Amino acid sequence: MVHLTRRAATPWLLAALPLAFLLAVQVLPALRLLALGWTEALTPSAGWVPADSPSAGPAAVALAGAWWADIATLASGLAQPLQDAYLRGRLVWSLLQAAVTCVVALALGLPIAWVLARREFAGRGWVLRALLLPFVLPTLVAAIGVLALLGQGGRETPWLLLYGNVFFNLCVVVRVATDALEQVSASRVAAARSLGASPWSAFWRVEWPAIAPWLMSAMCLVFLVCFSGFGLALVLGGNRYATIEVEIYTLVAHELALAQASVLALWSMGIAALAAWLYAVLERRLASATRHDRIARSPARGWRQRFAVGAALAVLALVCAAPLLAIGWRAAQAGAGAWAVLLEEETLEALWNTLRFTVASVALATLLGLLHALAAQRLVLLRALVFLPFVVSPVLVGFGLLLVYPQQSASLWMLVCAYALLAYPWVAKSVAARLDSLPTHYHDAARSLGASPLRVFWRVTLPLISGALRRGMAFAAATAVGEFAVTLFLSRPEWATLTTLIYQRMGRPGAANLDAAMVLSCLLMVLALLVFLLVEWGAQDGNEDEDNHA
Amino acid sequence: MLELHALHKTWHPPKGAPRSLLRGVDLVVQPSETVAILGASGSGKSTLLRIVAGLEPMDAGRVCFGGEDLRDCPPERRHFALMFQDFALFPHLSVQDNVAFGLVEQGVGRAQARSQARELLQRFGLGAAATGRTAHLSGGEQQRVALARALITEPRVLLLDEPFSALDAELKASLRDEFRQRIADQQIATVLVTHDENEARAMGARCLRLSGGVLLSA
Repeated sequence: MVHLTRRAATPWLLAALPLAFLLAVQVLPALRLLALGWTEALTPSAGWVPADSPSAGPAAVALAGAWWADIATLASGLAQPLQDAYLRGRLVWSLLQAAVTCVVALALGLPIAWVLARREFAGRGWVLRALLLPFVLPTLVAAIGVLALLGQGGRETPWLLLYGNVFFNLCVVVRVATDALEQVSASRVAAARSLGASPWSAFWRVEWPAIAPWLMSAMCLVFLVCFSGFGLALVLGGNRYATIEVEIYTLVAHELALAQASVLALWSMGIAALAAWLYAVLERRLASATRHDRIARSPARGWRQRFAVGAALAVLALVCAAPLLAIGWRAAQAGAGAWAVLLEEETLEALWNTLRFTVASVALATLLGLLHALAAQRLVLLRALVFLPFVVSPVLVGFGLLLVYPQQSASLWMLVCAYALLAYPWVAKSVAARLDSLPTHYHDAARSLGASPLRVFWRVTLPLISGALRRGMAFAAATAVGEFAVTLFLSRPEWATLTTLIYQRMGRPGAANLDAAMVLSCLLMVLALLVFLLVEWGAQDGNEDEDNHA
Repeated sequence: MLELHALHKTWHPPKGAPRSLLRGVDLVVQPSETVAILGASGSGKSTLLRIVAGLEPMDAGRVCFGGEDLRDCPPERRHFALMFQDFALFPHLSVQDNVAFGLVEQGVGRAQARSQARELLQRFGLGAAATGRTAHLSGGEQQRVALARALITEPRVLLLDEPFSALDAELKASLRDEFRQRIADQQIATVLVTHDENEARAMGARCLRLSGGVLLSA
């Protein structure tokens, strides 16, 4: 059957470009990093091995055989960061700050989500919409917001980074938990109540089991963001509370200790892979969970319920809005001198760079994401690959690219490719989710009405996924505008973007430079918001339309 | 004349043992004849329809129309119209653009296709809804739009997959008569898949039962 064999080959044709791209920009660099870390672990360098470490002597090698000795050396090499007190501290702190953030974000987020999911009040829709902001907000702006709010006085404290993490992740948890609570079956809760359960007991015995997997998946995501994050940790952690990602960056960029950095990279990838795997497993379980008998929202009555709504909004405002308002406040107070920075040639050039890198990378990300999502409908392998960017952090992408393509490290296309790599999973995930929700009947109906596969895509599939495509592009654009880690690794001075410019300004001494950084952060924040709204505006209408009519 | 010769199809579920759905199905449908295929759910009758439409491959056998073997003919070139249980109206298109869909694929200009669609909708009693969205229609109206969309290109074969199962009993009865009339007007070979024997009889169809992977007269 000619058309059927052609059909079987199509997903591979679609997948060819994304696969080649992933191979070149993500897999090869990651493998190179792994290989370097591996070799380094096999040949312990002098500076790393503590004096009392049991090294495999020649006699042991002769007795046990080379392969056994290799494994022993490898294990001890991999364990080097654990034996070194300084690096062990970094590793433990990285895990700890991510775990603490998860716990705090859940403890604060779940009650807020419950209020949003169960109570009707004026402005609820706006609050839900505003919860999308952290997805759009550059991490650097978030970090500077925390500094603007809490000042720079006590920089060597763990609390700054923890607060920054919670600020950045609370909205994610609230959004996911709200969605989860809205999926809870009303009839099951009603059944529990009629069987004698109090509201509290019904929550723990019926609602909690239903939302727990969602919350677990959100926790995995928060853990990954905190563990692999760079911007927040670099600015808020200082020297003392730097995470493993910042340590890798410092080792590569400032100390040129590639080998040591690569062993740390092994640890980073291993831990992130574990969390990403857990996330993928949980996400898969959630895919089919959709309920139609939602629990209706009731208006807040009585002082207790009103207090609950007020408290939820106050916590949300305090944690999530305050840092952003603080940037605006500090920038407004900075005076005309600081605002003049907007007209400096350096700034305009950075703005231009940010815009052109964004446009180029979003174009590439859209193409790759669309092809990836279409191919992933048929190829399970590609579905799993959507999670790859979670495993290899931006710092490791930059590091790996430097290792594999040293001569290209200062080329523009390399930078755009790295941007696109970080941006395109947004497009792929958004479109893939929409494609999953499309009944196959549309495709079949169009085919039997005389449309070829290409025409079906053009006349039926593309219009139906356009809302999701635009939304994915909006997130991709926001990612590109706020990109920081890879830019630090790969950029040349003349390609400074707004993020790197802000970071430079913060590094220069004097209050004037800090004020300028605040003003530039305002500009970056507005830009990220504008880019997002520009693309998202149409998508919003489109999506609602689709939901109503599908 | 639609002919099916010794169709075989084994279904490979993601988990569990493969199941043989069709084990040598033979069927001849004359032009302007309606054949109803009855069977329990999961008996493979929808799969049979999808194979005839060219949307699913078969393991062995032949599907022919007018003596021509359709082995290498993709669904869009068979000129068979398939109508779905849930109607599969495109949510992003207006009612008239849904109906005009097939005409546009045949190369008819958009304006011309639209006016033809409006004309047909008028005859189906849906003239007022032509420019509206399909989601604003009632179940019975959606059903009529789906039939209009299937019939407008004057297909050689009409394939109906449980066409009335989504409707309530009263509407079912009135639409059945209407469908029977409209299909008779166009004189096309029609294959109707249903689990409801009364429905099949009401459509004036020759009834066959798909059981154990073969067609028996019912």
